[in-house]
Amino acid sequence: MTWRLWPRGLRPRLLVAFVLVTLLGAAAAAWSSAGSASTALVTVTQEGLTDTLSDQISAITPQLTYPPDQAALDRLRAAVGPDTAVTYRDLRSAKGAATGLVTDALRAAVRTGNRLVVQRITADDRPWLLIGTPVTITALNGERTPSGIEVYAVRDLTGVQRQIDDLTRSAVGTAALALPLAVLLAVLAAGSVLRPVRRLRDTARRLAAGDLDARSPPRGADELADLTVTINQMAESVQSSMATQERLRADARRFAADASHELRTPLSTLTAVVEVLGTMTDGMEADARESADLAITEIHRMVRLVEDLLEVSRFDAGTVRLVAEEVDLAAAVWNCLRARGWTEQVDLVVQQEIWLRLDRRRLDVIVANLVGNALRHGDPPVRVHVSADRDQVWIVVTDHGPGLAETALPQVFDRFYKHDAARTRTPGSGLGLAIALENARLHGGDLTAGNAPGAGARFVLRLPRTLEDG
Amino acid sequence: MSRIWLTALAVMVAGCGIQPSEVIDAGQAPTGVASGATLYFVDADDRLRPQLRRTDHLGTIAEALAWLLTGPGEDLRTQITTTEGVTRVFVETTPDLIDLRLPLATYEVTPLGIDQIVCTALGVWVQSGGSRTTKVRLGFTLATPESAKLRTCPLIE
Repeated sequence: MTWRLWPRGLRPRLLVAFVLVTLLGAAAAAWSSAGSASTALVTVTQEGLTDTLSDQISAITPQLTYPPDQAALDRLRAAVGPDTAVTYRDLRSAKGAATGLVTDALRAAVRTGNRLVVQRITADDRPWLLIGTPVTITALNGERTPSGIEVYAVRDLTGVQRQIDDLTRSAVGTAALALPLAVLLAVLAAGSVLRPVRRLRDTARRLAAGDLDARSPPRGADELADLTVTINQMAESVQSSMATQERLRADARRFAADASHELRTPLSTLTAVVEVLGTMTDGMEADARESADLAITEIHRMVRLVEDLLEVSRFDAGTVRLVAEEVDLAAAVWNCLRARGWTEQVDLVVQQEIWLRLDRRRLDVIVANLVGNALRHGDPPVRVHVSADRDQVWIVVTDHGPGLAETALPQVFDRFYKHDAARTRTPGSGLGLAIALENARLHGGDLTAGNAPGAGARFVLRLPRTLEDG
Repeated sequence: MSRIWLTALAVMVAGCGIQPSEVIDAGQAPTGVASGATLYFVDADDRLRPQLRRTDHLGTIAEALAWLLTGPGEDLRTQITTTEGVTRVFVETTPDLIDLRLPLATYEVTPLGIDQIVCTALGVWVQSGGSRTTKVRLGFTLATPESAKLRTCPLIE
């Protein structure tokens, strides 16, 4: 049961342990000193009483008639004091009620032992000392024989008991004085142990929160200092590996950006050449024209791919800027559809007129990508639903195709992700959704993919009503 | 766990009071009763002879010496010459020494007479519980080197 009461915190545990140890030590010291003192007290009292008795008897015996008569016994008894019984064979002289306390064991010891004996007993909740002794006859050669006279005295030890009680009380009081001191020491010790632990915890918390520069200075040379050094080393290595990774990633990004940039110039030349080639296909052989058309398509695809790559690199480098202006959302979406000749295939549903600040070009990119995907991969009718409440606007693009596979949902916004491996030859670059998502986030909004119940894939673009320029 | 605590508590409480005990030996029993004192006289062969003077109690050294100075019974003699009726002896005792001041001069006592006095005093001393190795010093009415001697009884050793 004690263990269930054992506190959980380190500080209360230290406190309890300290106080317990101190209490035990103080109690043991108090107990042993009080114990030995009380033993000494009892012994001294006992010796005093027996010596007194012996002296009292010895003082009167030379004048005592021997063999004694009743008067002699009475004289001896009176000399020894109250609560005394003196016997000689059948004669007996006794005074004091306490003489009845004399035990048979004591009597037997007096009769057989020829020595002065004592016994402590407790009667009526009071401690008593029983003293019994024979009076001996000493021969001229020093030999002592019992004279037949026996003296029994009963002495009250209550006074000694009281002294011992006082002694015990003062010892307990002294031990209790150690308690506040122990608590104080325990608090100090707990503080000195727990302060470095708390510092370490704060450091670990800062590390976990991403502050890789967080360190705690090790103090002293104990185990906690070792732990601090170890944690610092760990933070050091994590920090350096993070820095390495960051550098590698930046290198990779810069490489993609540089490569795209370098590809642009030769590609524009190629485009120009292909344009010329396109005007001349009419006069070609059929298979030559097919090759030329294929080349033209692929060149255009490549141009788009490079443009998209450059856009992605700009996002990665964090160099994109919003060009925000007040835009009529419905009109902007309509313009986007019309510019690509999709107005016939797409249902545009607008609940209300919505004006908000956004980057018109980027909205166009997002909508064109979502609608383009819907037209390419899904089945008609493709529906664009524009709605708004006080804080946000939604543009929902739904098609009626097979929808997105559950397994594909988490990945559709990944770069170069193509759900259907068989459709790798589609004109998309594989970066469209990734770019659309980046554009949505740039506006402080979001783009999510899912499936509409009873329809195909559904993409939801959410934009905040008030754009934070930044 | 709680049993240990209880035991510890019990031990501690027990250590703090007066405990009842068995019968304990507490030293030598008092002594000193006797049916009379032993006086030392001299027989016909000039040897010390103890004689019990029945007085129903042991009495003091002074009393015994008074009996001694008063004289022997019919069959023993004494080698102490006393003035009639002067039998008062002053006695001072310490555990190691019995100091006697006798109403006698040195010339009134033979060496055997000195032994009579020393043995009688020492006999009462031993019978009343004194040590057998206690010495006796005799003081006489006239100053003499004999008074400096510490004596013992040849029969009590």
